[in-house]
Amino acid sequence: MTPRAMQRIALSILIAATALSLVPTIYMVDISLRTAAHSFDPVLIAARPTLANYVVVLHSGHLGRFFANSVAIAGGSVALTLFAAVTLSFAIARLKIRFGRAILLLVLSALLLPLASLLIPITVLLKNLGLTNSYFGLIGPNAALGIPFATVIVNEAMAAIPDELEEAATLDGASSLTVLWRIVVPLIRPALIVVAIWEFLFAWNEFFLALVIMTRNAMKTLPLAPLYYQGPYMTDPGKLFAILTLIAVVPMILYACLQRWFVGGLMAGGVKG
Amino acid sequence: MAAGASRRPGLPRPGARRRGAILGAGRWEAALYVLPAAALFAVFIAEPIAANLVSSLIGPHHRWGLGNYAMAAADPVFGTAVRNSLLWVVVSLAFEIAIGFALAILIELHLPRGRAVFRTLLFLPMVVTPSVIALVFNTFYASDYGLLYGLFRALGLASAFPALLGAPATASLAIIAVNVWQWSGFFVLMYCVGLSAIDREHLDAAEIDGARGWNRVRHILWPLCRGTTTSLVVLGTIQALQQFPLIYLMTEGGPADSSQTLATYIFQTGFVQDQMHYASAVAVMLFLLALALVAVEYRLAGGGLSLAAKRARP
Repeated sequence: MTPRAMQRIALSILIAATALSLVPTIYMVDISLRTAAHSFDPVLIAARPTLANYVVVLHSGHLGRFFANSVAIAGGSVALTLFAAVTLSFAIARLKIRFGRAILLLVLSALLLPLASLLIPITVLLKNLGLTNSYFGLIGPNAALGIPFATVIVNEAMAAIPDELEEAATLDGASSLTVLWRIVVPLIRPALIVVAIWEFLFAWNEFFLALVIMTRNAMKTLPLAPLYYQGPYMTDPGKLFAILTLIAVVPMILYACLQRWFVGGLMAGGVKG
Repeated sequence: MAAGASRRPGLPRPGARRRGAILGAGRWEAALYVLPAAALFAVFIAEPIAANLVSSLIGPHHRWGLGNYAMAAADPVFGTAVRNSLLWVVVSLAFEIAIGFALAILIELHLPRGRAVFRTLLFLPMVVTPSVIALVFNTFYASDYGLLYGLFRALGLASAFPALLGAPATASLAIIAVNVWQWSGFFVLMYCVGLSAIDREHLDAAEIDGARGWNRVRHILWPLCRGTTTSLVVLGTIQALQQFPLIYLMTEGGPADSSQTLATYIFQTGFVQDQMHYASAVAVMLFLLALALVAVEYRLAGGGLSLAAKRARP
């Protein structure tokens, strides 16, 4: 088979696979554009789309509040994860602390923890600490669970930095904090972006903990919104699906804008040493 | 890293420091850098693990011991949950790896341009909140008005599959299919990263030696992506074991507990039936199952994990 023919076959298969994978998303958007009369039609695209559902949904209550909660929790989780992973990796990869490798292995082993197995004790803990229905009640566990993956990526990137760079700075009398902030962090930016995007997606979409921690409506995050609206819009799925579409579209657009850096960071495997 | 060896002689050695360390940071200063991660780890991971283990040992009638574990061994729903959790891991991984590896080869090695478009579009399901996905697929699968039902009716299959989520035989598989749909794009992307790290010259040399088509996939590309595969198998195992929202929102573990997994059963026993100590024992066993599966996978792969791209060597 000529490379040219192979390219054409590859392209056709990829287009078919991508189209298939987009079907549920298209279906979701289309139901959100239907009038109540057509919302139960078993077809991919119904006739006569309307934006009326969005007008109703955007004027009704809590969605803005859920969104703000999600932004605060995802933002806080990203910041705390990055801070903890960067400082830990700095101690291991650059300061070469004693037992660094053992600490790294311990942190890595937490990658093997299914969140479900921690759900009950974390809930009990947060209740005892008075952190249910608080932002930190989700930010803390999110960051702790995000540290293992973040440390793998950040540590690898930091270990690749040549010693000479910081040596020169140290000889100039720079403190370790200056070296970290001025020299190390700018060099590992691609890795930090990968971690930030990954942790954001994880925190933004986290459902299990949020379900049991955020019991007050004012504190709920977007992943809980479908549950909240499922009842009221049972007979009018157009409106429910308008809400689902709004929730889904935000991270989709965000990822489409940022994917260049995400993929680039993954492919670079940290920084060029 | 041989920091000391690479230093040119004659340079002043900065301050007191540990051998091999580059910076002149003292031990206490270094400890401060470990503190944030250590504190989060201690409070939100170590303490919960310990508390969970202790809680699981408080058996029926508040008697200490392995009573909860004995109860689980005799509990038919627990058995179903274990079987379904294993089904989740095996079926999810088989499809995710096959789809991910195949599409990544097409994207990385057979497309002259437009790679980023496919990588991005295929990845999009990954960024959508599972609770949204669950409700979309509830409608998608719904008998009478779902899109899939419409397709089945057109093909004359509607009577053979009256309700995918409502039948014990198909409920789990129908939800696993959704999980595969969501995660395949991630597997595609990671295999793209793995394939892009392979030396082009190495591939060209192999092609001259006659490694083409299936032979090239089997004997060149697959072995070179082993690190990626091992990482994905481990990540995919944990992901499948902890999947909760899809099952909770699509079947709630039903009908008649037939799609219960360990993750949903922890929620069911702990929060719905209010048997916290029993749920803790189920959680400990989920953790042990995860460890056992990863240990087996790691042995089968012969070790070697790589999360980011590395230069693959033949």
